[in-house]
Amino acid sequence: MRKPAYGVLALFPSADALLKAIPKVKARGYAQLEAYTPYPVHGLDAALGLPESKLGVLVFLMAAFGAVGVFAFEWWANAVNYPLLTGGKNAFTWPAWIPPTLEGSIFLGTFTAALAMLFIFNGLPFFGHPLLQTKTIDEITRDRFALLIVPSGAAFDEADAAAALRAAGGAAVETLPAPSHETPDAAWWTRTALAIAAACAVAGGATAFAIRVFPTVKPMVNMEVQPRLDAQEPDSFFANGRGMRLPPAGTVPRGGTPILAASLDAAGRELIDPLPVTEFVLERGRRQFDRHCAVCHDRLGTGRASLSSVYTAKPADLQSSTMRKIADGSLYWVISQGYNTMPAYAADVSPDDRWAIVRYIRALQRSQDAPERDLK
Amino acid sequence: MSAATTNHRGRALLAAAAVGAAGMAATYFLDGAARFWANWLLWFVILACLALGTLFLVALQHITGSLWSVPMRRVPERIAALTPWLVPVAAVALFSVPAVFSWTQPGADAVTPLVLKSAWLNYPFFILRLAACLALWMLSYHLLVRRSLRQDESKDPRVTVSLRRFAPAFMIILALTITVFAFDWVSSLEAAWYSDMFGVYLFAGAVTTAIAATTLGVIYQRRRGRLPGVTEDHLYNLGGLMFGFTIFWSYIAFSQYMLQWYANLPEEVFWFQQRTSGKMEGVFVLLMAGHFFVPFLGLMMRSDKKDWRRLRWISIWVLFMEFVDVFWLISPIAGKGLNLGWPEAAFALFFLSAGLLVVSRAMSRGPDMPVGDPFLEDGLKFHLR
Repeated sequence: MRKPAYGVLALFPSADALLKAIPKVKARGYAQLEAYTPYPVHGLDAALGLPESKLGVLVFLMAAFGAVGVFAFEWWANAVNYPLLTGGKNAFTWPAWIPPTLEGSIFLGTFTAALAMLFIFNGLPFFGHPLLQTKTIDEITRDRFALLIVPSGAAFDEADAAAALRAAGGAAVETLPAPSHETPDAAWWTRTALAIAAACAVAGGATAFAIRVFPTVKPMVNMEVQPRLDAQEPDSFFANGRGMRLPPAGTVPRGGTPILAASLDAAGRELIDPLPVTEFVLERGRRQFDRHCAVCHDRLGTGRASLSSVYTAKPADLQSSTMRKIADGSLYWVISQGYNTMPAYAADVSPDDRWAIVRYIRALQRSQDAPERDLK
Repeated sequence: MSAATTNHRGRALLAAAAVGAAGMAATYFLDGAARFWANWLLWFVILACLALGTLFLVALQHITGSLWSVPMRRVPERIAALTPWLVPVAAVALFSVPAVFSWTQPGADAVTPLVLKSAWLNYPFFILRLAACLALWMLSYHLLVRRSLRQDESKDPRVTVSLRRFAPAFMIILALTITVFAFDWVSSLEAAWYSDMFGVYLFAGAVTTAIAATTLGVIYQRRRGRLPGVTEDHLYNLGGLMFGFTIFWSYIAFSQYMLQWYANLPEEVFWFQQRTSGKMEGVFVLLMAGHFFVPFLGLMMRSDKKDWRRLRWISIWVLFMEFVDVFWLISPIAGKGLNLGWPEAAFALFFLSAGLLVVSRAMSRGPDMPVGDPFLEDGLKFHLR
């Protein structure tokens, strides 16, 4: 059986001619009409008898949902879940939530307007629309105004419809065939689903790649490169070419304790650990060591902490035999003054804490090389 | 309508104005000068907003060349007849300056912001600015409205051309004078306060008010058959403008509020603190709900804007909200006792009836449509879809 025609189409030279033709065609008993114009024509909706579009209602509902949703989310996030006090105001800072509320309503409103217009009210996706296959589609999109009689009821006479259009002043009358397939078939849905899946896979892969690559690329180095001298850095400003300066002879920093030893070896001979042997001191030393030293020397003092691979100079292995033999006073002196690339910690760690660290290093060394009697 | 009813209504308005005037005099002697001056300022600002807003609507039509507004243009032109009456109202208002303006009070020379602003806020310059504003408004009224009225007889299309040429210049005049007016007559009441956008705020309210008054005038004239050919589609555009300027006012009002609320600087935020706490808190909430949500939701649907009954109620509501807005601006400072009571009712009675008298007298003179405008016929043919 032959499929029924999509409709009978005719062209009119102007918008006025189209508007005048519509009542004439309607008078011949054709109620279902459709018009195609290159631009919106005033009076066309009324002439065709179209009801007011429901799009506005949908947009309003979604925009209201966006506004209420965003405001409620801001309220929940800033006043309920994690109350945030800013600038001495209370947690319910509604004026600050109005701009995002406005954005939320605009976002949902505009997207609803565009998507609902395309997919709900205009019935997209619609492939192979018969109008696109007419000879006159170029003219309809340029400067001609088309009227289509849509078949309604069983007894549709194409010849009579064509005559009605001609009588109303229409030219280039033609019958549009039924569309080849009005709704997408299973193959189209499969293709579409596969395409979306492929797009997601590409996007996901690219994101994963980017996440792996970008952390090694430094987007900004402002924090890292600073106009200051670090410990042991050379500098041409001073005559001896060193960035570090010795304090004037005989001076003691405010609140500081002078280290009364001239060298590493002298410190080992002359300085004496003043702290008592208590669990409190060891615990204090552990906390100070973990805070200041473990980042380079590792929590066991092996010198193989996670950061050590970044440095060209290897941090000292505190478990080595050299470090086991070195005197307490010398360890104290190194922590205070720095050694090779290790910076001085005198400014950051108080003298008592430095001694506590020394005590803890000794405990660490013993823990990794315990004599048999300790294990009994 | 017969001349007798017109006279009857005119006499009723005159009587109402006389009662109001008696109440105003009683306010001065029974309730103190401060309350009198606060009320006088309130109505001076409202009348100026109404006159300037309607002049803006007239000029806007000339600039955009819109056709739909041509048949109803006589209504804003007639409401703008309030412009010359601003001169006596302003002259009386000058006496309020020593009474309620903060920069004229004793001790003002010890407040740093007031000292900094004294180059702007001093009597000679203040009066000079007022005179300049009034002169420019009178000139604009003459060039925009009087010539349009004379076109009814001459039917000279060149008048339309020259009106369209002057309209952009008026926009610049309006932008400058309404800013100066807002700074001088509203924000300088509490002269230590800063807000650059206050002129825009007053402008947004003025235009919203003018649209509401114009809508009421058009509905009134139309129901009496004076505007044949003006359909719901014409009204729809007025409703759309009112809807748009409602949102504009809200946007400006909120922007002004949020910036100062966020920064929380003592020299700025005290102004809002006075207007959002205590007994003003209710007015503040009413303003947010009434000046934005009621017209916003009430004018949203297409059918709302075509229904003259609904438009009439919303227009009346918007006019009332302009009163609330200016009350909210002026009351905490200038009032020193401005409240809702019989003095406010007397002032409202006087200014409403006197204003209606001026506008209805003006409306009864000459044709009700700009019959000399060459675009009148095209404007009458306007339809929506």
